[in-house]
Amino acid sequence: MNQFKQMFLMHLKMTFREKQAWFWGLFFPVILMVIFMLIFADSDDEFEASVAVVEENPNEVSTAISDQIEVIPVLNVDHQLESQSEAEQLIKDQDVTAAIVLPQSEEDSDVLFLVNAEDEQSTTTQVVSGVLSNIVQQMNLQVVGASETYAVDFQTVTTGEHELSYQDFLLTGLIALAVAQGGLFGMIDLVDMRRKGLIKRLRMTPVNMSLFGLSDMMMRLLFSVIQIFVLALIGVFLFNATLHINILGLVVLFIVGALSFNAIGYFISSFSKTTEAYMGVANIFSFLMMFLSGIFFPIEMMPEWLHPVAHVLPLTYFAEGLRDTMVYSIGIESSAVWFHIGVMALWGIVAYIIGSWLYRRNSIVATR
Amino acid sequence: MHVLEVNHLMKSFGTVQAVQGVSFQVKQGEVFTIIGPNGAGKTTTLEMIEGLVPPDQGEIKFGELNWKKNGDAIKKKIGVQPQLSAMFDLLTPSEHLQLFASFYDKNRPEEEILKTVNLTEHKDKQVRNLSGGQRQRLAIGLAMIGDPEIIFLDEPTTGLDPQARRNLWDIILRLKNLDKTIILTTHYMDEAEQLSDRVCIIDQGEIVTIDQPDSLIKRLTVEREVRLSFLEHEEAAINSEKILNKLTVVSRIDRDSTELKIWTEDPEYTLLELFNYTKQQNYQVDQISIREMSLEDVFIEFTGKEWRD
Repeated sequence: MNQFKQMFLMHLKMTFREKQAWFWGLFFPVILMVIFMLIFADSDDEFEASVAVVEENPNEVSTAISDQIEVIPVLNVDHQLESQSEAEQLIKDQDVTAAIVLPQSEEDSDVLFLVNAEDEQSTTTQVVSGVLSNIVQQMNLQVVGASETYAVDFQTVTTGEHELSYQDFLLTGLIALAVAQGGLFGMIDLVDMRRKGLIKRLRMTPVNMSLFGLSDMMMRLLFSVIQIFVLALIGVFLFNATLHINILGLVVLFIVGALSFNAIGYFISSFSKTTEAYMGVANIFSFLMMFLSGIFFPIEMMPEWLHPVAHVLPLTYFAEGLRDTMVYSIGIESSAVWFHIGVMALWGIVAYIIGSWLYRRNSIVATR
Repeated sequence: MHVLEVNHLMKSFGTVQAVQGVSFQVKQGEVFTIIGPNGAGKTTTLEMIEGLVPPDQGEIKFGELNWKKNGDAIKKKIGVQPQLSAMFDLLTPSEHLQLFASFYDKNRPEEEILKTVNLTEHKDKQVRNLSGGQRQRLAIGLAMIGDPEIIFLDEPTTGLDPQARRNLWDIILRLKNLDKTIILTTHYMDEAEQLSDRVCIIDQGEIVTIDQPDSLIKRLTVEREVRLSFLEHEEAAINSEKILNKLTVVSRIDRDSTELKIWTEDPEYTLLELFNYTKQQNYQVDQISIREMSLEDVFIEFTGKEWRD
């Protein structure tokens, strides 16, 4: 017991004294999160466009349309103008996205839609003109006294009872990435210890090497817990991420995930003779996963032919699992969560077995 | 009683025969030194005894214990200071000692070890900030923490300055006083002579001879090389050469201007005679040195071969 305590303390002290561990384990994911949050987190806010309404000659029709426009939340009426030329100037100066010129009289039923030629194809233009057509259509229907036969009913569908905002998506993805990288890169210590002859030195003593490995694992788990807390706190308090955590599900998923990525790191260490070689392989793997596992953007946004790759990588399942247990509050009673856990465990077990086999074959750590 | 018995150890790496039939016994409380040039098989022999490398053939016995059946029991009885002492750069000597102490059932107190290896002042410095000598002393401290009966020291003084070497000699003698058995390898003959009860000379994987250092030195040619130079003119050197030539202990003299190289069986007597003469003549001697007898001399004497380093 004292041996385990001493080993754990040793790993703890070394990790806390290693500036690299702090940088890559905490500072780097935090920076990544802040940058991505600042760039993308606003994009799922309400779509808005500022428009000018030109009412040269107020009449019944123009007032009706103008009232309609005002109640549409997407359109911000910033300017109420009386001449088309003023509106054209505002559009040229790009003060407003578009201008809507209302009918001159009750007989004149044309609504003119003005946009900057540069923006003709932009999403905003499309949306505003769509909205406008809709209003006009409604007016037309009213005039002929008809009602809509067909209507589009719009609803969002999510896996759980809570909606996944981009903040939640990115936060859980980054937590998964940080824990995964901790495991992937963490085993560099093993390569370094082997290269320096520390493993050999320890084997000259009656040390229990499996206790040594176990204490190392415990230390890594502890560090990952710190990562989760720091990232989650920043995400929730600075970027309004909303988490609904299923504790038991999260704990099981986290332990299996962290151990599996450690096992992958262990596998890489089994054939890397130098720390440089190790970093090279770990970096390739890490980059692949970073962009193909749905960390920064959903897998669905990637081309179809890349999907099978994403569905093989363990980080995909870790990130998905974290979303299930941290955002949707889905627990271990769900078969989806077990599937995520299962795929990661499979990765971990296979990596560990091949790693151990390579270690034994190269008799890097012979057991006596 | 023999605490360690080694019989016909053989080890080859590929086509290289590193160790070819090494046998010896070590007694309780003895300082047993293995000397030999680089690549002689010293470290391989030690690593086999320490259980790091399995021998191709031969037998290693610690009393009744052997590596196949009693690996853990042996590891508890021995303490090892490897040639390159690997350590945790971010931990302090004190933390190293506590960590290693937890591996063993019994320990020597941390303070006692820090004092023995003169690291009390530096016990809270991270190892990456220690000097080479301090690291080497910590490595020896780590070999002692489990209160072992047998301590292996593989070239503990290589690369140390003379003062640090003397300090290490003190440590080794202190360990000997604690009735520890010490197995030492070294490059230096003076070290072997100072510290050892018995010396084993090894070359090309074979034992050349095993004996007490005194006997080895007696068996060596006793001739030593003395060099000296005079401050003034050549005449002093020429006249001194004539006087020295009359001494029977002197076998050969080389003179180069004011410099003399003298080969003598009795440096003390030779110098005494020479100084009597120079004092009488009022010659001023500038520099004087007696070349240390090195492993090279012993080696050449016992093998008749050139030194390969």
